[in-house]
Amino acid sequence: MLVAGVDVGSTQTKAVVMDGEPKVVGRSLIETGARLTEAAQEAFSLAVVDAGAEERDVASVVGTGYGRYRVEFGETQVTEISCHARGAVFLFPNTTSVLDVGGQDTKAIRVGGDGQVLDFCMNDKCSAGTGRFLGAASQALELPLGDLGPLALTAKNPVKMTTTCTVFAESEILGWLALGRKMEDVLLGVHVAIASRSVSLLRRVGIEPEITFTGGVSRNAAMVKLLEELTDCPINVSEESHYCGAIGASLYALDRALTRAAAGASGGVLP
Amino acid sequence: MAEQKVAERKRPGDGAAPHSELIGATRAESRGLIETWWQEMSEADAEGRPVANVFVMGSIAEILRCFDLPMSFPEITSLQTAVRGKQMEMLVAAEDYGYSPDICGYVKVDVGLHLTGRNHPSGKLPRPALVVSPNTCNTYIKWSEIWERMYGCPVFVLDLPGWRGTGGSVLPGSEEFERDRRYVEGQLRELIALCERITGKTLDLDRLREVMGEVNALAGLYDEVVAENKHHPAPFDAMLDGLNYMGIANAYRGDSRGTAFMRLARDELRERVRLGMGAIPDEKYRLLLIGTACYSHFRRFLELFHSWGGVFAHSEYMSFAGGGIDRGIRYELERPIESMAEQILWSAQQSFSGIFFSQDWQARIVREWDIDGICFHGIKSCRTVSTGLPDEREWQMRTNDIPGLFIQSDLVDARLWSDAQMKNRIDAFFEALASRKAAARR
Repeated sequence: MLVAGVDVGSTQTKAVVMDGEPKVVGRSLIETGARLTEAAQEAFSLAVVDAGAEERDVASVVGTGYGRYRVEFGETQVTEISCHARGAVFLFPNTTSVLDVGGQDTKAIRVGGDGQVLDFCMNDKCSAGTGRFLGAASQALELPLGDLGPLALTAKNPVKMTTTCTVFAESEILGWLALGRKMEDVLLGVHVAIASRSVSLLRRVGIEPEITFTGGVSRNAAMVKLLEELTDCPINVSEESHYCGAIGASLYALDRALTRAAAGASGGVLP
Repeated sequence: MAEQKVAERKRPGDGAAPHSELIGATRAESRGLIETWWQEMSEADAEGRPVANVFVMGSIAEILRCFDLPMSFPEITSLQTAVRGKQMEMLVAAEDYGYSPDICGYVKVDVGLHLTGRNHPSGKLPRPALVVSPNTCNTYIKWSEIWERMYGCPVFVLDLPGWRGTGGSVLPGSEEFERDRRYVEGQLRELIALCERITGKTLDLDRLREVMGEVNALAGLYDEVVAENKHHPAPFDAMLDGLNYMGIANAYRGDSRGTAFMRLARDELRERVRLGMGAIPDEKYRLLLIGTACYSHFRRFLELFHSWGGVFAHSEYMSFAGGGIDRGIRYELERPIESMAEQILWSAQQSFSGIFFSQDWQARIVREWDIDGICFHGIKSCRTVSTGLPDEREWQMRTNDIPGLFIQSDLVDARLWSDAQMKNRIDAFFEALASRKAAARR
């Protein structure tokens, strides 16, 4: 049995195909762009190809992410909060707290042993202190996004950013450079600002080990190191962390497919 | 038969006759009363009769009604403007005039109405001849000063003590409470003198007793109305029908029409309970709302909860914006002014404490109304009701294991509503509640 989860995020769309074991057997990641339905379909098709399967082999698809209602071929939609919680516990079964820093929002989630959401907090509707902030830094410094973390880790004397506002990020970064500060010091300052804000959100739901870091920003080594320092806890990061929402969605899809197979009806805890 | 129905409507619940006609009667009555209220406002404006601008958290309607001063409630009229979708032009008018976007949305809608000719979507807003401004909201006094500058009307500030930051309220019977009571009584006597000057009438104590007797009856009925929602399913939504109950309780406080309305509401609710009729078709989750709704998106706000089977079985709003009548007002009519001072002071203190020490109140409501989760709605333009909400949410979760949702938008400002983000948070909250209920069943 194959199932799939499609996570239509603000920046990137991720799709995962999972077998009944459950194990991830196919994945894809593309830029979301402006056409959400097409992005969802394309990501799904690519993940199915990656799994060496055909779309008709997939018994159930669940959409998640801010564009989840555009996964029109999906059976249902589940929010990314529930999906990241479920996916994090799948990747790291002892997870109690999840931090998901995505393109335009940050979520702190406290989870139960079965991936149930016990509590969650999100940033305000503005994108201050989210992945978008790193995107603004990348543009201002004319550096690829993937270089930001490694370069920040070489810093010795980080600047103290006064804002996490994405709109003001560029002017502040340029201001520090104009004062003669090194690029890596500015970058580390940017990372500290985001990490501090993320940890204060995490405190709202309670910081307890194990903490699992998910979302696109979890691939940034500087962020992982700073979060470990600020929480005084090791941070779980998986190669699959970026796909965590899609993994959670595919687990919900698997619930539905198994329930249907067992009872001849759609089911699962969530609608 | 028609006469019989009218009789039943006047004293519903007293007879054994079936009361199916009660279903929907409260909403119809509420519409009629609000229309009448607007008609009275418009007529007062046309005839140049004096009108008092007052607030929901301490209108002192008991005294004003004795002088036949119609009362305009700017919080209610601003809310109505937003529900009718006319608020943005008023907000922009106020901001063009110089008011900051950060200022209370109710204030700016009201200022916009006054700046653009007082043409409310429901009628003509009269110019105030008097403002009664209690200190129950820190914005009230600054708001009153705006009308004072616009119209030169007197502003009577009612200073209600009782903010005992670290120790809670001062209890009746204590020396401190008696001092506070005398202080408030003195102010009420000053207000009476001011009303006598403005209207040329003398206070009729018998009329005052009559009005206060109506408030006693109204308060008792209001308590009964709120208590009906302990039933499963909840017969009304505290943020929909509750708004009507609250609005009439304010606008018709001390008026026999208000008392009759509340009796009708109670009887309709009892009938709904008897028939097993819930406020929404399939109640799955019972919620408590802290804050207000977003009135620029009122229908959508409710839909986001109702579509999951979530009903607001109670709201803090029905408490603090109900003019304190849920705080057990029972006037002693043989000593009206003294008793009024005592009760207004006590209810104001309780309402203040309701905001600043609300955790115990919330926990009690959760127990007694069998609440599944609390929604904390932060209002961007009102720090008074929004301060501390994330902390309260966290405290309830950690201390009482009560799930809480924190969302933010505004009272009236459509620019502060983000539909996708609201829906995402609300959906996630219900998903968590669903998992929680499923886990409890296992």
